[in-house]
Amino acid sequence: MSNETAVSQVDKPEKRDPLGPLFWVCVGWATLTILASLLANWLPIESPITQDYTALNQGPTLHHLLGTDDLGRDILARIIFGGRISIGVGFGAMAIGFGIGAPLGMLTAYRRGRLDTIVTSVMYMLLAFPAIIATIAILSFWVPRALPKIIVVIGLASVPLVYRVIRTATLNVAAKDYVVAAKVQGASDRRILLKELLPNIFPIAISFLLIGIATVISLEGALAFLGLSVNPPTPSWGNMINEARTVLSTDPWLVIFPSLALCLFLLCLNFIGDRLRSYFDVTEVKL
Amino acid sequence: MSENVLVVENLATTFHTKGGPVPAVGGVSFSLGPNETLGIVGESGSGKTVLSRTIMGLQPRTNVEVTGSVLLNGHQMVGVSEDEKRKHWATEVAMVFQDPMTSLNPVMRVGKQIDEVLRVRLGMPKDAAKARAIELLRLVGIPSPEERYSAYPGQLSGGMRQRVVIAIALACSPSLLMADEPTTGLDVTIQAQILNLIEQIKNDLNMSVILVTHDLGVVATRTTRLIVMYAGRIVEIGTTRDVFKDHRMPYTRALLESSPRVSNASHTRLQAIPGRPPNLLKLDQGCAFAPRCAFATQKCHEERPELEETGTPGHLFACWNPLTTKIGA
Repeated sequence: MSNETAVSQVDKPEKRDPLGPLFWVCVGWATLTILASLLANWLPIESPITQDYTALNQGPTLHHLLGTDDLGRDILARIIFGGRISIGVGFGAMAIGFGIGAPLGMLTAYRRGRLDTIVTSVMYMLLAFPAIIATIAILSFWVPRALPKIIVVIGLASVPLVYRVIRTATLNVAAKDYVVAAKVQGASDRRILLKELLPNIFPIAISFLLIGIATVISLEGALAFLGLSVNPPTPSWGNMINEARTVLSTDPWLVIFPSLALCLFLLCLNFIGDRLRSYFDVTEVKL
Repeated sequence: MSENVLVVENLATTFHTKGGPVPAVGGVSFSLGPNETLGIVGESGSGKTVLSRTIMGLQPRTNVEVTGSVLLNGHQMVGVSEDEKRKHWATEVAMVFQDPMTSLNPVMRVGKQIDEVLRVRLGMPKDAAKARAIELLRLVGIPSPEERYSAYPGQLSGGMRQRVVIAIALACSPSLLMADEPTTGLDVTIQAQILNLIEQIKNDLNMSVILVTHDLGVVATRTTRLIVMYAGRIVEIGTTRDVFKDHRMPYTRALLESSPRVSNASHTRLQAIPGRPPNLLKLDQGCAFAPRCAFATQKCHEERPELEETGTPGHLFACWNPLTTKIGA
C-alpha cells in the first residue's frame, strides 16, 4: 500500500502539463473566436447590417446581448462578422509575409555571399522606413479599398520583418556542426534546407507567426481607426471602435465590446506564441 | 604499401579579411597511406582545424582562397564544384566533429540520421537501411541499439552521441576518417573509450584516420605518424616515435614540455611557451616561431626555414638550429 503511494508520487511530476492551463484557455478562446467568425453565416445571430429601429443606442439587453449602435445594428453580430475582416487580414497578411520572407531568409542565410548582402541591405532599408506610414500612404490613394488590397499591402509591409527573423534564426542553425555534418554526408542543399534547417527554426517561426498575426490585427485596427480599412457598413473591430469613439461618453459599450474582443484575441495569440517559444526553447536546456 | 589514400600538396588556405590576407594554412604537403593513423598537433590557432576542413573541402563560401592540391584516392578535391566533392563525401571521406552536443540534429531521431545517409547515398531501401543502422549502432558499442534507434540526441549522453556521430561517419565505409578533436567535449574516461573505438574500427574496416588534437597524450599511443603545426605550417613531421623521442624543432620540444607527465614529481611547474602564437596578419619573412624560440639567431628572424629531411627518412623539420640531443630516450 505504501509502495503504491510512493510510485504515484514519483509519477506525478512527469504528467504535469508543461504548457500550463492558461495556455489551453487561450487556445480555447482563440479557437472560439476564429470558429465564430468563420461560421458567422450559420450562427443564430442577426446580419451585421440589419437595423432594428425599435432599439437604437441600446445597452445590453436580452434581445441584443451586447447592445445596439445608433443605427440599431446588433453589436454581437457586428463583432462576430467584424472578426472575419480582422482575423482575415491577420492570417492573410502573415501568409504573404511568410510566403515571401521565410523562404528568402532561409535561402540567403544558407547560401550567404553576394545575394545575401544585396537582399539583406534592401530589407534593412525597407525596415528603416516606418511600415505604418507606407501602408497609410498606399491605402489612402489605392481606392476603392477592399479586403484583398489591405491584405496585400500589410503583407508586403511585413516581409522585411519576417525576413530578418527567419534569416537570423537560420544563420544560427546553419552554423551548427550537424548542418556541416549533413553536408559532408553528401546531403543536397535542398535536403539540408528542408530536413536540417526548417525543423530547427520551426519553433521560432511558429511563435513569430502568432505574434505577427496579433501585430497585423492591431495594425488593421489602427488603419480602420483612421478610416483606411474596409468601407462601411462592413464591420471590422477597428472601424467599430472608430465609429463609436464619438459617442464614448454616452454609449461606452459601443467601444468597450469590440475593444474587448480585439484585446482578448491579441492577448491569447501573444500568450500562445510566447508559451510555445519557451516550450520549444527549453528542450535542450532541460536535458 | 599500396597507393596513398590521401596526397596533400602545397595546400594553402588564405582568408581575405578587412585587415588583409590571413594565411591560415600555408604550403602544407604530406601523404597518408592505407590503414595509417596520422596525428596533427599544435596549439590553438595553429591551423589544425582549418587544415582538416580544407582537406574535406569545407570552406566558407566567401572570402577564402585555396590553392594547392588534395588528392583523395586520386580524386582532386581542391577547386572543384560542390557537386563533385559531394560524390566523395561520406563514401570516401567522413568526419567526426569536435562537439557531439552540436553535431547531431536535435529534432531528428538518431536512427533516422543514420539511415538517411544510407538511403540517400547508397540508395538502400527503407527496411535494409534501418537494419544496417541498428547494426552500425551495435558496431560502435551502443547498448540495446534497437531501442536507441528511435531516441532523440537529447536523450543520449555525450559519449553515446559521439558514438552515434562515429556510426554516421562509418555508414558508407569511407577509406578516410577525419576526426577533428573528437574527444574534446567528453570527460576523460569516455575519451579513452571513444579513441579505442576509433582505433578498433580503423583496424576492422581497414580505414585511414587523421586525428586532429591539441592533446599530446591522445596521439602518443594511437598514431603512426605525427605532424606538428605552427602558424599554419608544418614545422615537423615524422613517425610518432621520432617526433616524441628525437624531435629537432624547438617548438616541438616546447610543446612536449608544456604537457604534464606522470613521471614528473607532483607540483612540478609546467613549462609554458613564452609569448603568444603569432598574428597571422603580421608574419614576417623569418621563422614564425623565432620570437618565442630560445635558440633563435639572426638568421631565424630573416629567412624562413623549409621542411628538410636530415638523418632519419620520413622525418622532416623546418629549423635553422635543430636540436641534437635526444631526450627521455
